[in-house]
Amino acid sequence: MDSRDQTVVHSAGGGGLSRREVIGLGAAALLGGGIAVVLPRITRNERGRRADVFIGKAPTYDGNLCNVVGDGLTTLGVSREQVRGKRILLKPNLVETTQGHAHINTNPAVIVAIAEAFRRLDAAEILVAEGQGHRRDSWLVLDESGMGAALEEAGLPFVDLNHDDFAAVPNDGGWSELGPLHLPKTLLNADWIVSVPKLKTHHWAGVTCAMKNLFGVMPGVVYGWPKNVLHYAGIAKSILDINATVKPHLAIVDGVVGMEGDGPIMGTPKQVGCIVMGRNLPAVDATCVRLMDLNPYRIGYLTEASGRLGPIHEEHIAQCGEPIASLRTRFAILSAEHLKDVAAG
Amino acid sequence: MAWQCTSIERLLASARPDGGWGYQSGHEPSAEPTAFACLALATAEPDADAIQHGLERLARGQQDNGAVAVAPRIAAPCWPTSLAALAWLKAGSSGGTSYAGQTRRAVDWLLHTEGLTLKSDPAIYGHNTQLKGWPWGTGTHSWIEPTAYAILALRAAGISDHPRVREAVKLLLNRAIPEGGWNYGNCRVFQNNLRPFPAQTGIALAALAGEAMSESIDSAIRYLHSELERIRTPMSLGWGIIGLSAWNERPSSAGNWLTECAARLDGRPTHPVFDSLLLLADAEQCTLTTLLEAANHG
Repeated sequence: MDSRDQTVVHSAGGGGLSRREVIGLGAAALLGGGIAVVLPRITRNERGRRADVFIGKAPTYDGNLCNVVGDGLTTLGVSREQVRGKRILLKPNLVETTQGHAHINTNPAVIVAIAEAFRRLDAAEILVAEGQGHRRDSWLVLDESGMGAALEEAGLPFVDLNHDDFAAVPNDGGWSELGPLHLPKTLLNADWIVSVPKLKTHHWAGVTCAMKNLFGVMPGVVYGWPKNVLHYAGIAKSILDINATVKPHLAIVDGVVGMEGDGPIMGTPKQVGCIVMGRNLPAVDATCVRLMDLNPYRIGYLTEASGRLGPIHEEHIAQCGEPIASLRTRFAILSAEHLKDVAAG
Repeated sequence: MAWQCTSIERLLASARPDGGWGYQSGHEPSAEPTAFACLALATAEPDADAIQHGLERLARGQQDNGAVAVAPRIAAPCWPTSLAALAWLKAGSSGGTSYAGQTRRAVDWLLHTEGLTLKSDPAIYGHNTQLKGWPWGTGTHSWIEPTAYAILALRAAGISDHPRVREAVKLLLNRAIPEGGWNYGNCRVFQNNLRPFPAQTGIALAALAGEAMSESIDSAIRYLHSELERIRTPMSLGWGIIGLSAWNERPSSAGNWLTECAARLDGRPTHPVFDSLLLLADAEQCTLTTLLEAANHG
């Protein structure tokens, strides 16, 4: 499927546009947007980049998620030697909360399970950190999502990245015109950065998963609520720059219940029943897009990440655990002109 | 000991020796917590030296163009300029030092700063994208919090009728969510109305104090009355009570709620903004509202 769609997308993209011309542009997207346009210049070999992605079955949040995560870590070669004595930062997706809409945010059970799995590998310190994109009151988000009670019971500290001390670091991506990125010191002091997103559609970017989740490490006191500076810089370009600069070590996706339709906030719950894990975030996101029965080559930031930040072609990703076909389920995409290509699958 | 004394003690203990406050005790000084701590202490402990040290810290951080950045080490964004102006105005009315020059330059910067407008597209956005308020950072759109802070500062500076204030009031009213209240600043995107947040609703109501009652304001007041019953977080409860008090709608249980909320701060690292908001909400007449009344009748 990918080979055929690469051709289609390549052709549609025109092939002659510069990177800046094709990523994340469009005035309509500036108030929380980006653009899920098709992008050209696909490198068929993806510069030799290869990655493993693990899919673990997890039909509910009540099961033994810790064992699923543990299996994933083992499969991905995450060893005790690599984790022992390290400071692990888990970055969930906590945008905003509304009672009765738990599918907006990463489920607390997933975070607690991951923490336990890292404890079993002798991590020295595990903390949960987020800088919500919409709600500034992190305590209220923790209360309403149930995350606060879960973290307290599990003895896990929470750090509000929106109001942390920050430092400017060189932008290793260079896709956007953001210049140096202001990153929280808690993030910069972590040994392992683990993106723990929710599997969701996104009404601007098409999908939001492990890579887009890192918008939440950008401090709101610098980038605002919503993080509109990143929107003006181009959502896709900002996603790429942040990932290239932060260099996350692992992604563990809450795909037990995702969100379809008008995500990342107003969509509806979508049962998938899995946890997706990998050490390369573009590969993880591409796999998640396939689980959503969509085409990664129609997601702008993924196409641009291909060969630069990781592989997205299915032949370059070693799928471990459950096969994609056994869990694939079509996610509805918001009906909007700029998402036509994404919805085409 | 009453929670108010504990909050004051925490604020005094977390003040940096060279003046100002960070977002947490031990953090680098930042303009927002410094401004809020000065406002809160000016109400609750007006003789504290830390107030003047904080105001001086804000003054040292003011740039030649009048702007005050979020932290001393960076030049932008400068959305806390409004909060610095509010803090200087309060010091001018109760402290020994005048910050009239600093305030004037801050006001000048505010009047020359505006959010970007966008071509209207009703299929996408529910609000009037042509109205100008204030952004978090220059070169971006206007949003609720920075616009509300600017309105409060400009009103406190005695220019409630300035065209920028009037347009900003229109912006706030235009961004209200039909079901009541405000969020960060999008009332509808594509087909769905978005959901309100209590803190931003309180901030917007505080900024709109003195405006004519409207359906949007009435809905927001009803939304907050309903929400605050269950909320015990300093930012949302504090701003919620401040917003309702600005419309003479202070809940009768506000004192108890603040006590319960303040208990959650015990044994945790100090967050100066949290203590400050609870103290401001506790004040018999909220400081921000008092500032506006003084300006409007002065």
